[in-house]
Amino acid sequence: MMQMFRIDSNAAHACRHHIVSSTALETLHSVHAASQQGGKQTDLKMLSGWPVNMWLWILLTFIMPLLTSAYSEKERAQELMDRFPLIDGHNDLPLKIRVYYNNRLSQIDLQKISKAATDIYRLRAGSVQTQMFAAYVPCGAQEKDAVMLTLEQIDLVRRMCNKAQDLELVTTYDDLTNSMMKQKIACLISIEGGHSIDSSLAVLRMFYELGVRSMSLTHNCNTPWAETSTDLYGVFQRENNSLTPFGKSVVEEMNRLGMIVDLSHSSWETASAALKHSRAPVIFSHSSSHSICDNKRNVPDWLLRELEQKNGLIMVNLYSKFISCGKDANISDVADHFDHIKKIIGAKSIGIGGDFDGADSFPQGLQDVSKYPALIQELLKRNWSEQDLADVLRRNFLRVFKEVENVRDNSKHLIPSEDQIPSEKVKNLCRLDRQNPILQRSISGAKFILPNLYLMSSLLLFSSIFMNK
Amino acid sequence: MFYPVFWETAGFILSKSDPYLNRAYQLMSETPLIDGHNDLPWQLRMQFNNQLNKVNLDTLETTHTNIPKIKEGRLGAQFWAAYVPCETQYKDAVRQTLEQIDVVHRMCEKYPDTFKFVTTSQGIMDAFKENKTASLIGVEGGHSIDSSLGTLRTMYQLGVRYLTLTHSCNTPWADNWRVDDGSDPIQSGGLSPFGKQLIVEMNRLGMLIDLAHVPVSVMNQTLTMSVAPVIFSHSSAYAVCRHSRNVPDEILLKVKEKKGIVMVNFYNDYVTCSQKANISDVADHFDHIKKVGGAEIIGFGGDYDGVPRTPEGLEDVSKVPNLVAELLRRGWTDEEVKAALGNNLLRVMSEVERVRTQSTNNPGLCERVKRCGKDNSDHTG
Repeated sequence: MMQMFRIDSNAAHACRHHIVSSTALETLHSVHAASQQGGKQTDLKMLSGWPVNMWLWILLTFIMPLLTSAYSEKERAQELMDRFPLIDGHNDLPLKIRVYYNNRLSQIDLQKISKAATDIYRLRAGSVQTQMFAAYVPCGAQEKDAVMLTLEQIDLVRRMCNKAQDLELVTTYDDLTNSMMKQKIACLISIEGGHSIDSSLAVLRMFYELGVRSMSLTHNCNTPWAETSTDLYGVFQRENNSLTPFGKSVVEEMNRLGMIVDLSHSSWETASAALKHSRAPVIFSHSSSHSICDNKRNVPDWLLRELEQKNGLIMVNLYSKFISCGKDANISDVADHFDHIKKIIGAKSIGIGGDFDGADSFPQGLQDVSKYPALIQELLKRNWSEQDLADVLRRNFLRVFKEVENVRDNSKHLIPSEDQIPSEKVKNLCRLDRQNPILQRSISGAKFILPNLYLMSSLLLFSSIFMNK
Repeated sequence: MFYPVFWETAGFILSKSDPYLNRAYQLMSETPLIDGHNDLPWQLRMQFNNQLNKVNLDTLETTHTNIPKIKEGRLGAQFWAAYVPCETQYKDAVRQTLEQIDVVHRMCEKYPDTFKFVTTSQGIMDAFKENKTASLIGVEGGHSIDSSLGTLRTMYQLGVRYLTLTHSCNTPWADNWRVDDGSDPIQSGGLSPFGKQLIVEMNRLGMLIDLAHVPVSVMNQTLTMSVAPVIFSHSSAYAVCRHSRNVPDEILLKVKEKKGIVMVNFYNDYVTCSQKANISDVADHFDHIKKVGGAEIIGFGGDYDGVPRTPEGLEDVSKVPNLVAELLRRGWTDEEVKAALGNNLLRVMSEVERVRTQSTNNPGLCERVKRCGKDNSDHTG
């Protein structure tokens, strides 16, 4: 489809990132870099710490439903989720559709997608009522065509949620709550990584117009204005500059717009800075507890406390490597994260962000989006109250979403931000230097370029980059 | 009828000696002047880096367009160009285009008494009734979509209502006007297969197809293929000035057949094929297009703020009523003038909207080009 441009035959591809292979899929979310692995708290430690009467209680709860047709945890979980169906913070089905189907929805039955962990049938089975779908593009596209690729992923989610009768795109608190009454699965759109906006607040605004309601400041790469927890790309490295002045402008503009600030993937320093700077509550859309599994993608207790102080939300990631810090995990390991976070900051700060289809291994019993009830069942077993679980399942997220909208509504006196990142921070071969005086000249027919001007402007661009190095 | 008394009085005083100008003002109060192309957003970028806080459109003197001039010129509706230069192709064209779309939105938000951002033909009439300049967006150049139908669709969602298929560079899927004078090589023979897919998608979406800046091959192919009428947002008559940016007579006939519109560009070099022109020269284009294609295919596409030379008597957007007066002087009827002012564009836009509605309800419309689904899910680009 892409024909070579005549003068710069390499130019056509130099600034394009190709998302092609499914092996790329495994590396995309590979935050399980060996250097990140730490010890995990073992099951043994947990089991041996339980008192005897707890054991009796557990035995009874197992035996009772077998002996009688009494109300089991499983049924309780299901009944609870019928009343409070899940709002999940992060799902990468759009990425799978890109990698396997090149965004061709006509090749997919959204009811049953065998190559993914997510489809409508299993969302229903899992009592998922709202799913935040990530319009994710890889860090490799930064300084290339990240913006265009992000538009394509946003377009995909919009088409997907328009095509299926069961799905409905929502962009407001009211629409979200109404979608439950209409028995639809609500779609929210998130952006996963500030590289998608190419350091442009205008692009951020346009994404908001397109329905994006949440953005993680980084993915696995630094942006020119924020830091990642997992620097796989080694770009834009700075000393002690977790959130630059422009990064703060980004957070401010997100507050003004009513876009949720998502700190999953950000470094702890960036997260802490964003927490301080944001007027609205923030979330971690798919991160777990660093105390339980010391992967840098997880959140340490001190940062959890900062989050709770600002009425934020941590939506626990189910990816095995963030749960057990190993390849294998089980539901009990997952529940340990919930227990710990509840102990540190309480159930009102907790949600669920499964990260299905964005990672390659999930705990036994939680392989896909239909399995959430099993997790709720385990939490019920661990004496989580129904009120707490209702909060975790949806009410905490709704609270945050509403508050983000309130901050927006109280920001009407603010005008759209015209802050711009200093150009020297973003100079690259795939960005046209607007200071190039050749552009200013109007040759015959205004805005027209003489035949050799392409060559001349390329030369000037190259020379200006070399001069500035 | 809805204009403030002040403007009517001022207009009357100024035009006391010219009954044609009086009549022009009267007609322009009944039917909105809808101009197809204005590059103020580009000037905002080049002069002010899109920092609207540094600009006062009430007093801006360095452009053809400002608010007092818009009022004086009775501008009822404007397609603002979201243009980015061809050197951004294969670089950051998409980002820059989004920034231009954003600056139009912000301009309308900053001056809500003057501008009303709209996206439909009905929206244009609503704004007109409120005495505001209806503001729409056209993206000028296929390089802005980076060969991505997803990008096209999201730009539509952002309010973009026309796409000029090329600016002055070939895209991977369409040749530009410069292949007609030999200054660029033919690459696609007009439209490539993907280019044709794009036409179908634009019909389905309800995006106006703009053929300003395209070569004759693309004009022919598009006019044949497109189910909806197409526009030339800022092009003039080739028979009057033989410049490759202008529209040859045989194309005018096709436009007439397909009930499209050619919105005349005022740029001197396209009007007289020289650096000097005046109102009469511009009116010659109007006359010629009316003669060949009929008054139903004509409109205004001044190209203000996108050109370095404007005709004597049409120096800026405040002067356009004088052109209307000239047409009346030449015997244009009121109906013909109103058709040119806005009714033709409204007709075209309504029909494009109707084709969109029909496409949603009738996937069969796409059968001519295989791989066109109801949601166009195959068209990923």
